[in-house]
Amino acid sequence: MTREAIEAEIRKIFLQEFEIEDPAMDVDLREAYQFDSIDAIELLVEIERFLGSELTMEEKKRAMDIRTFRQICTYVEQLAQIRRAAGNLPIGDLCKEGS
Amino acid sequence: MQRRVVITAASAITPIGHGREDILRSLRDGVSGVKPLRSDDLLAPFIHSQVYGTVDYPIPYDFKRINRKTMGPVSYYACQVAKEVLEASGLDPEFITSGRLGVAFGSTHGSPTVQREIYRVFHSRDRASVSAIGAVDYLKSMVHTTAVNITKMFGITGRVIASSTACTTSSQSIGYGYESVKFGMQDAMLCGGADEYDTTTVAVFDNLLACSTGFNDEPRRTPRPFDVRRDGLVVGEGAGAVLLEEYEAARKRGATILAEVAGFACNNNGGDLILPNLAGIRETLRLSLREAGMEPGEVDLVSAHATATKMGDIIEAQAISAVYGDRPLVTALKGYMGHTMASCGVIETILTLYMMQEGFVAPTLNLEEVDERCAMIRHATSLEKTPVRAAAIQNFAFGGVNTSLVLRQAP
Repeated sequence: MTREAIEAEIRKIFLQEFEIEDPAMDVDLREAYQFDSIDAIELLVEIERFLGSELTMEEKKRAMDIRTFRQICTYVEQLAQIRRAAGNLPIGDLCKEGS
Repeated sequence: MQRRVVITAASAITPIGHGREDILRSLRDGVSGVKPLRSDDLLAPFIHSQVYGTVDYPIPYDFKRINRKTMGPVSYYACQVAKEVLEASGLDPEFITSGRLGVAFGSTHGSPTVQREIYRVFHSRDRASVSAIGAVDYLKSMVHTTAVNITKMFGITGRVIASSTACTTSSQSIGYGYESVKFGMQDAMLCGGADEYDTTTVAVFDNLLACSTGFNDEPRRTPRPFDVRRDGLVVGEGAGAVLLEEYEAARKRGATILAEVAGFACNNNGGDLILPNLAGIRETLRLSLREAGMEPGEVDLVSAHATATKMGDIIEAQAISAVYGDRPLVTALKGYMGHTMASCGVIETILTLYMMQEGFVAPTLNLEEVDERCAMIRHATSLEKTPVRAAAIQNFAFGGVNTSLVLRQAP
């Protein structure tokens, strides 16, 4: 899964779930879009769906320091790498391999 | 500090209409809002009572996602009437967020629709499903969800009172809001209550043999408060809100004053949680008059709680007779829409307010033959054009909670 694919997916989630269109990469999401702690929890659920695997409590807690869209993409990229290393490919990769 | 308190805006979503004109038309034309119970793929087919006070018209919600995300159906109702009240009030936006405006708003038990989804997940015993309980599900379903969704939507920073005492929920909201302003804790209070469509409530009352079951084929003919053929209550849905303000401040800003809240009382029967209690109810009515500094003869209209249960209506008629005699007209507005639960107090207050303004009293719908045990009071059996100088709105709840609110014509 490429960085671009992850970014596109997160943008899709932002639009569909949070009605935020094309968020800027490096602004504070709370200040710019009133993206709050409730949204953050909802986003984690969406990320779990995207990756096709549950996040651990430690992984979820780590997300609480995230402030920008770029940080979210990096966070998801790292989660995907961890799962790939453990042999659990994210859904995006599975789709790609199956096609 | 004791200050006069007035109502400066009101709005209601009811089974007989949304807003003043719709509701007045229904009252004048004797329109019922009781319809067949909707199907819910759960309990509905097994409930004996197949009637419901239904809001079945579209409501033009226009809420941003940031607000919608913490709202269950009950909060949609609550925020809509709150929005309409604030718009109608003409309050300065700076005042709304100043901390001098508070909110007293409640519901019977938050949002049962959302709660059902949460428990469905719990009962699935599926570990993976637990994460399906969203972060916002509690905020959507909790008991004070209506009050705090209102504060969030409008940036209200004053006190929050979220009463949840079943049928006296919103009469308490108005009463405690009134006291907050009267004693100087707040300069204004946005007060009310809401309840969403919920068959669980119908099932509970059905099991207690308190629901109407004899008019399933003719929903509009039930409930029948004080009528000899009454066979129980009809559960309903709806919402209402009123804005209470300190009189002098309202006058100075040129607000339209709809009526004065003259007095309020609330007590408890101190015993049985279900049976109506004559002594407790009678005392509430007397306390509210004393609080208003009024004699019974000054009250021209009594809006009875009158749910159309066998015992409740008789005890209430006895209490009205003991306190007011047979002079004031008595109307039971549940005849039009059933028992809208947490919102019945505020809806009945608003309807009474409209009738005071218009100078008429709507009759108790479906009261065709007065039960002789309820006949000692002056029932409104046809529409009467008459000035209403003052009116009392009474409500009683499971748990033995009684309230009485006294309104007076605008000063």
